[in-house]
Amino acid sequence: MTRTRTAALFAAAAAALLAIAGCTGSGAAGAGAGTDELKAGVFLDVTSWDPANADIGFDGPYLSAVYDPLVALDKDAKPVPALAKSWDWSADRLTLTMHLRDDVAFDDGQKFDSAAAVENLNHLKAGTRSGQAYTDVKSVEAKDPSTVVLHLSERDDALLYFMGLGRSWMASPKAIKANSLANGPDGSGPYTFDKASSQPQSQYVFKKRAKHWDSATYPFPTVRLFPITDQAASFNAMLSGQLNVQFANAANLPKAQQNGWNVAKKPASWVGVQFADRTGSQVKALGDQRVRQAISYAFDAAGILKAVGNDAGTVTDQLWPSGSQVYDPAGNGKYKTDLAKAKQLLAEAGYPNGFSLKMPMSTIFQAWQPAAEQTFGQLGIKVDWQNMSMPDYQKNAPTYPMFLAVIAMDGNDMATLTDQVTSSQWYNPKPSVDAFPEVKALVQKAEQAQPGPEQTAALKELNGKLVDLAWWNVWYQADNLYFSVKGITVTPITGMMFPTLRFIQRG
Amino acid sequence: MLTFIVKRLVSGILLLVLVTSGTFFLAHTAVGDPTAGLLGNSATPAQQAALRAQIGYDRPLLVQFWDWLSHAATGDFGTSWRNFQPVGEQIALRVPVTLSVVVAATLLAAVLGVLVGVVCGLRPGGVVDRVLKLASVVLFALPGFWVSLVLVTWFAIQLQWFPAVGYVSPDQSVSGWLRSIALPSISLSLGAIVMIAEQLRNGFLQVANQDFVRTLRARGLSSRRVTTHVLRNASPSALTVLALMFVGLLGGAVVVEIVFNLPGIGSLTQSASQIGDIPVLLGLTAVTVVFVVIVNFLLDLVLGWVNPKVRDR
Repeated sequence: MTRTRTAALFAAAAAALLAIAGCTGSGAAGAGAGTDELKAGVFLDVTSWDPANADIGFDGPYLSAVYDPLVALDKDAKPVPALAKSWDWSADRLTLTMHLRDDVAFDDGQKFDSAAAVENLNHLKAGTRSGQAYTDVKSVEAKDPSTVVLHLSERDDALLYFMGLGRSWMASPKAIKANSLANGPDGSGPYTFDKASSQPQSQYVFKKRAKHWDSATYPFPTVRLFPITDQAASFNAMLSGQLNVQFANAANLPKAQQNGWNVAKKPASWVGVQFADRTGSQVKALGDQRVRQAISYAFDAAGILKAVGNDAGTVTDQLWPSGSQVYDPAGNGKYKTDLAKAKQLLAEAGYPNGFSLKMPMSTIFQAWQPAAEQTFGQLGIKVDWQNMSMPDYQKNAPTYPMFLAVIAMDGNDMATLTDQVTSSQWYNPKPSVDAFPEVKALVQKAEQAQPGPEQTAALKELNGKLVDLAWWNVWYQADNLYFSVKGITVTPITGMMFPTLRFIQRG
Repeated sequence: MLTFIVKRLVSGILLLVLVTSGTFFLAHTAVGDPTAGLLGNSATPAQQAALRAQIGYDRPLLVQFWDWLSHAATGDFGTSWRNFQPVGEQIALRVPVTLSVVVAATLLAAVLGVLVGVVCGLRPGGVVDRVLKLASVVLFALPGFWVSLVLVTWFAIQLQWFPAVGYVSPDQSVSGWLRSIALPSISLSLGAIVMIAEQLRNGFLQVANQDFVRTLRARGLSSRRVTTHVLRNASPSALTVLALMFVGLLGGAVVVEIVFNLPGIGSLTQSASQIGDIPVLLGLTAVTVVFVVIVNFLLDLVLGWVNPKVRDR
């Protein structure tokens, strides 16, 4: 629904490529990585200081420095109060009433109140990128100076999660009206942007605000964020002491351990084969559950994770993140590698000699191509690979019957249902839920269930069904890794490619 | 001389228009509809359509081209499709970074290349000459990024003399700026030093064997004065190589900028290519071509000044 996974794709692919292959200098060289200030190497540069144009993937640390959100997330990706002190859902879950803090002001002195929240929410709803989170929000109104009401056109149990993920940063209404946020931030966040000390696209410096309502959550007096895409460069910066936190590459894990750094990891994306044509409209064979199962049995997922993913992940057939409430450890291993069974299933389906099809290929997926080529070959599936650029891959992959995928996951179970199953995305062009009555029934059951144990149980049931049907061929869930020096801990969140500043603490 | 300058200017402008036009159509053909990549997985068709309208991608290609060309002629390269910031501003931020490294590398290459070249020319077959021969083989065999990584490992991580990554603007700290561009410039210049030295050495030996040099020596001129005459006659070929090197170093800067995480035009080109940010790519192409044209123009001027016969070509 509301994710920008381009960054995730770059991140996962970069990590994989580096696995196979192998601060600006304002700080004094050789100073060593102290913990007096946070110096974090982020994978990508900030997309925009305007929350409506920002990207959820890697913009989190930048925007969380200067903006406060209406809703934040806790370590389990559950929505927690921020500028919204509390909220209530109506019985039909079509009206969300939020009660706001009244002790917050923006950089320009303007007070944060319900009018400011409405201005921001309308701005976010209208935003080309941020609007994806507010698809189901019909209108927003200020009930009184400290209460705002969101009216939904249909129930959306993932709305608060997406708001917490990075879609509810509150900016100065004056700056929104003046359309000046693209030039620089104007928020009420825990830090102020030190433009004079910053070098755009190289280093961003933030100084702690003297008074902030949540000051205790942000222990560092100064935060420096360095966009470093090249993982080797980032690791070198970490080794030289220019960074004390970095978005890491699993290939460097042994060296990180040698250096005594903290290593934090969390599932971030699933890797495998996406069956875009589950109904067999393009390639009849894929419409047969046995064929999809055969492909799932054939792949040596553990071998691929070891060879390409540096063992940084979890081998699983499931798409809900490992560790989530829906994820079922007991349900793993259904498609444990068994080539004989795979061939038997193909033969039973009427394809003893396999079949032919075209699949897209792009440079960042080439790490997995040999394994795919070999496995499909063993099944007699002849693949005609169509090479294309990465932007073209995202554009064209949906037109192919199946393709290799590295797709970011969500930390919210209902968001996973929406993003990965029911809604049409580039990586899920034909959700095809309607074509599978049993799936449709389980989806409706989950959507209509009360949030909590009832909904989780329904999602678990659906998860099991989807694995049985070989809805996807998940090889493994790849972890995002973060290295930090002793004295700094990072708490990763599934759904955030790089955690917001509240998740980087001393300790 | 004026005709010579006008000719060079006109050909430069033609080259600029041709290259940017070619890039425009190639990029649009190669990248196609960028909205999926720019909006990510979850964009609805309506949101994609809104972005198409916002960036003007829904207009006919020729209309887009004319719009881009007419604005680019006034220095307006449009706005980035990724962050909606003016392309010109982004490039303006990055040009000083790349120029810092490339100019420093060129200066290093010029100074050290000339020194080594002259020493080798004066003593062919000597120790320095043999070292140069070996270095030319080794340095051309080694990949640029490997040399950069070795420098980082030794001088940034082990000895901690220089920063491993990043760029400091001279506005913030001149010493910081010099330290931040030192390793990138050295790694970029190594190949160029050898190339210029070899070129100058060969040119020096060629000129030194000519009749007029023998005449100068016979007239009793000092070695230093003879060497000066020889150098002046051997310099055009080295100057040409130096100018070509400068243009080549602009290309080589991509690798160095990635390894040292410098926010220059090389790394911007790479990131813009990855996400299909065509306005940024076009702006970068235009700026790079302008650099190439200016360098070649200056080279022609210098060569024309050194050798008047060149002006008639």
